[in-house]
Amino acid sequence: MDAQQIAQVTDMMYALRNPAGLPTYPIIFVALGVLTFAMHILFVQLLLGTSLVALYAAYNNHPLWRRLGAAMIDVAKVSVSVAIVIGVAPLLFVQVVYDPQWYTSNVLSADWVISFIILLILAYWAMYYFYFQNYKREDKTAQPKSRWSLIVSMALMLVVGFIMHSLTTQMLHPELWQSWYSNQGKLDFSGSQLHAYNPWRFAFFISMAIPVTGAMLVTYRRFKSVRSDADHTYLNFAAEVGKKWILVGSIISFVLYVAWMASLPETAGNFATSFWGILGGLGVIGYALWAQIRLRGEAKFCSYMALPMALVIGLIVATSREVLRYDILNGFFNYNFFDYKIVMDWYSTGLFFLTFALVGGSVLAYFLTIAWKAGQTVGVYTPSATVNKMGTVAIWIMVLWMIQFFAVGFYIWAK
Amino acid sequence: MDLISLYPTWYEPTVGSGWVVALIATFHVLASHTSVGAALLFAYLSHKAYREDRDDLLDFIKKYGLFLMVFTYVAGSITGPGIWYSTTVASPNGIGALIHSFVWKWATEWVFFVIEVVGVYMIVYLVGRVDKRTHMKISVIFGVASLATMVIIVGILSFMMMPGKEVWFEEGGYLNGFYGTNTFIQTGMRMAFMFTMTAVVGGIVVASIKDPAFKKEMTRKLGWLGIIATLTGAAMFQWYLTSVPDQALLVMENRLPEYFQTSIIAVLAGTLAYFIITMLRPQTLVQGFAGFMAVTILVAGLWPEETARESMRKPWVAGQYVYSNQVIGRDVPGMGIESQLPIIEKVGILQAHPFTPDHLRELNNGNQIQAGEFIAMTYCSNCHSPSETGIRPLHRYFPEGVTQERVADYVKGVLTTGNIAYMPKMPMRDDEAEALAAYLVLNNKGGQPAVTAAIDLEIEQRERALVEKNAQDKIAAIEMEGK
Repeated sequence: MDAQQIAQVTDMMYALRNPAGLPTYPIIFVALGVLTFAMHILFVQLLLGTSLVALYAAYNNHPLWRRLGAAMIDVAKVSVSVAIVIGVAPLLFVQVVYDPQWYTSNVLSADWVISFIILLILAYWAMYYFYFQNYKREDKTAQPKSRWSLIVSMALMLVVGFIMHSLTTQMLHPELWQSWYSNQGKLDFSGSQLHAYNPWRFAFFISMAIPVTGAMLVTYRRFKSVRSDADHTYLNFAAEVGKKWILVGSIISFVLYVAWMASLPETAGNFATSFWGILGGLGVIGYALWAQIRLRGEAKFCSYMALPMALVIGLIVATSREVLRYDILNGFFNYNFFDYKIVMDWYSTGLFFLTFALVGGSVLAYFLTIAWKAGQTVGVYTPSATVNKMGTVAIWIMVLWMIQFFAVGFYIWAK
Repeated sequence: MDLISLYPTWYEPTVGSGWVVALIATFHVLASHTSVGAALLFAYLSHKAYREDRDDLLDFIKKYGLFLMVFTYVAGSITGPGIWYSTTVASPNGIGALIHSFVWKWATEWVFFVIEVVGVYMIVYLVGRVDKRTHMKISVIFGVASLATMVIIVGILSFMMMPGKEVWFEEGGYLNGFYGTNTFIQTGMRMAFMFTMTAVVGGIVVASIKDPAFKKEMTRKLGWLGIIATLTGAAMFQWYLTSVPDQALLVMENRLPEYFQTSIIAVLAGTLAYFIITMLRPQTLVQGFAGFMAVTILVAGLWPEETARESMRKPWVAGQYVYSNQVIGRDVPGMGIESQLPIIEKVGILQAHPFTPDHLRELNNGNQIQAGEFIAMTYCSNCHSPSETGIRPLHRYFPEGVTQERVADYVKGVLTTGNIAYMPKMPMRDDEAEALAAYLVLNNKGGQPAVTAAIDLEIEQRERALVEKNAQDKIAAIEMEGK
């Protein structure tokens, strides 16, 4: 591309920006986008990996595998919900700073965007179908019923993942948008094509499901081992599988990461050999090394660190991915999100962070404490006075939030 | 460069992109309203279970919660962002306007959404695994979090119709855009109807209760909830109509289908009758009856209500400054937003649109139908489908045998000047208006096949001309070399 063509693409992207601007500094949205994407993709990987465990177990006669499969479908089911709910946040933030790129990419593949919604619902229902076909059975070592539904669920999950991958990739090719819209001179309003993808990049993110699920299995052993009815043979088996998955999975992911970096478009410049390009790969292989050293034997403390460490690796990769986007759009196409117009709104900015910290913090601390303790208790769990107080405080914070919402509202309305 | 923020257009010929959004949104409303109402009902029932030490109420919560988890939480949590996705492809500047003004509001809602999703799992799976007092606390938090998601989103929905306060146009500010009379009335109306939906969908679960006495008790509880909510909702709807702009009422009177009012009244009456019958004779409450009522509310109640709310906003799609065809049609000094109409008036829509292909930027006899199609897709297709079916098809608005001259006069005299109620002003150069007219007449006569054939011919002629020109250039170059 010559300088004039690049300038045309730059002008087009700037023209597409929303004139309402942003209510605070764009870097905040990008940072939140990276953080929430890392959390989202962790649960996506968890749902895929635990589904894979359940599927493998369904076709394996080994009783320990069967029990593990039954337990992991529970994790998969919850992970889908959490992946969806957390995925809302990066979807929100990408529209704020990268609206020209995201909206164009979506419109040009609109049929797939709509399909995404329908296929995801079907994938989730297929998983629930498998779950309800089997969850009431006393014998968890028996062959599960309706195994096909789990295959359907996983296949559809991979399709929706690919759609999302393609939409994200298309954002990085503004030089091709016009040709996708006007194919050989004929306008195409159908949105029926996915125009760009990078199989290595997609495979890398999917493959991370293996080490992340390995981390889940190691954590699972640790979490369940304190119950008075714990079966240590079974739990040790789970942890050993987990350690193997972390090692093998990290190596596979590392290879795929290198392949991704080697297949970057020219517009990415020297990203592959830059600090963030290298760090992403080192993070992935570093996870295998960390696990080899810290998860030996029972690893009572570090077993609980396996998932947070996976999140840290995810954060490094998410940051690399964000820097890559910046390098392409700013480095090559001169589109800089930092200069997005700001119409500062301190109230709504402050309210979000306060809600996030106070409401989110207090409620989730209470919820997770209850869930954690109940999961480790045989029979009915009755919380201590301190935990009870946590619940009361959380309720009061929620009620106060509602009061301020209406108080401020009526004040503004009456003014 | 005089470019404006227009994206490519997605054209869905069968039902139209607007209906795709409406379908997803209607389904989401059923799922989300039922969930929020149920969350508050659970808080009440769990409190009662704790006070009266009753296991049957917790069992009911578990059953209803599980039902909701599979149907409304799966579908609701996906169709929620699904509305973003569908509006992104159908109306990118509409959703962009909302996102950029209310990003923090949505982010705040997201915090409550996370609590809600974690909460529903806890409410269902911790029945019998934690003491009743703890379950009650979780239920109360879950209920308040669910309600918070609703009150936040209603403020954004109200902005779609009109900014909370008129002063927002001059001063901007999220608070002025968010809070207004319409916001509060709509919140009340939606809260009422969400309890109606909760009571109807809850009937599916109550129908499976084996113990006659408990079934009677729950039928009565849901019945009273449903009756009070339906009557309150109907009254709030009348109040809501007083809070919308006059223009919206005008659209409602003139543009909504005839069946709208009848359908809404029939659904309200039918819903009340359903509650009364099931309360008087709980044995009539079977899953099929309750399921039928839920579908009836979805198809005959929510669908017309949601599509009416969409239609009433015309010609605007968001905040009374973004037209339904994505053009910004009004200055908003408070946000530093300028109307894009002057730019289009200056250079024409083909020059102002960033995605106009190079070969359509200048009009000539060889690209008129292509350019006309491009303009129709940009300006018209969001509200009027160029196909036979779909949303308010274009062909219905032009009589058979209409001439290009007549249509061109209409375009220039009415559309470019904005002299028609509930339609945006659509500036065009004269040659653009002619191109649009040529396309519309062709589409009227022969539909899509005729348009496609004409475009193929234009492209073929363009390519042939290009080949000829290249050949001539080559000959000229050879001749030059020879000399």
